[in-house]
Formats: sequence, C-alpha cells, structure tokens
Amino acid sequence: MKSRKIYNRIALLRTEKSITRKELAEKIGVNFQTIGYLEREEYNPSLDLAFRISEIFELPIHIIFSTEPLKPISELLNSKE
Amino acid sequence: MEQNKSLSRRRLGVIITFLSLFGIVSIFEYGISQQWNGILKIAEFTLLLIFIISLVLTYLKTGLWKFTHKSLAELDEREIALTSKSLRYAYAIFTIFLLILLFSYSIFDYRLSIVLVTSLILFAHLLPASVIAWTDSK
Repeated sequence: MKSRKIYNRIALLRTEKSITRKELAEKIGVNFQTIGYLEREEYNPSLDLAFRISEIFELPIHIIFSTEPLKPISELLNSKE
Repeated sequence: MEQNKSLSRRRLGVIITFLSLFGIVSIFEYGISQQWNGILKIAEFTLLLIFIISLVLTYLKTGLWKFTHKSLAELDEREIALTSKSLRYAYAIFTIFLLILLFSYSIFDYRLSIVLVTSLILFAHLLPASVIAWTDSK
C-alpha cells in the first residue's frame, strides 16, 4: 500500500526554537540527515517518532503534522481573528 | 544541480567498480585458460588498482560501506527502511546474477576459480551500498 504524504512544520518550529538539525536529531534519537528528510517532507515519520517530535516542541501532534498541506501560521491567526 | 552531480559521480563510481571487478575476473580466467604474459599481468594489476581506488572513493570515503554493514541498533527508522530496501534489491539482483552465472558455467563445463568466488563475495557485499549509491539522490 502506498502511504500518503505527511506534511509538517518541523523546519518552522525548529527555527523558532533556534535549534540546529543536529541538536534536534540528538534529542529525538535519529541521524541529523533524517531531520533534513523530515523537513523536506521526503520521509514520513513513524507514530513514535512523531510523538517524540511533538514532545520536544511541546505541541499537539496535529499542529505539527497533517495529511493536508499546512496553512501558514499567519493565515491561521488571521482566520481566528 | 549539485545533487544531480553527486548522483552522477556516485553512479559512475559504481560502474567503474563493477567493470573493474568484472575485468579482473575475465583477465584471470583468460590467463588461466591461455598463457599468462606481461600484458595480461599489467592489465590485471591496473584493473586491481582501479578497483581499489574506486572502492575507496565510492564506498569507503562516502560511508556507504559502513552504512550497509552497521548493526540495526545503530540505525534510525529511516536508515533501517533504506537499508532494508537496498538489501531486498541486492538480494534479487545477486540471486538472478548467480543463477545465470552458475547455469552458464554448468552448460559450458567451466570450473569456478577462487578469484571468481572471491569476486562474487565482494559483489554481494557491494550490492546493497551500490543500490543506495545508485538510487538515493542525497
């Protein structure tokens, strides 16, 4: 079965937290190259890895990952106002 | 652009490695069946040198050899998926190649030389890394 593409906000959140790919990789226990693959959405993480990422960013999993293309944060904030 | 260059370079490295390995076996088999002479010895030595250089540049320096020979505990989930895929392809390629080779040898009543067997072992060990070098764009 072909899996669906999973979109994510990892790059944005990592920049916001000012952490490098290597630091994030060490925190979640993967190779730093895997962070690059995740950020480019070329690799779908397992549920366990997705949870570990959400724990690092202290955000619910559905805020970070989606099966639909993610809207920019500014657009989300505007729609709430 | 840089990624395409890197991929082309890696593919070229894989081709050179396998061609030189094939050349080493072919010249050895020819030398055994006919008569070893100076030209054949120089050609064999040159191919061996090309094989070693290509092996170092394409597999050892890039970390591909180490990557496909690491224990699963040292790999993350993406790397396990990647090595699993490469091993699956390598297994299929090696099985088909070996079947054709052994079938041909039995038809033509050739004997397997130690150089051929050694090359086949090397070929089997190089294949998973070669699949990654050939397919993975990064």
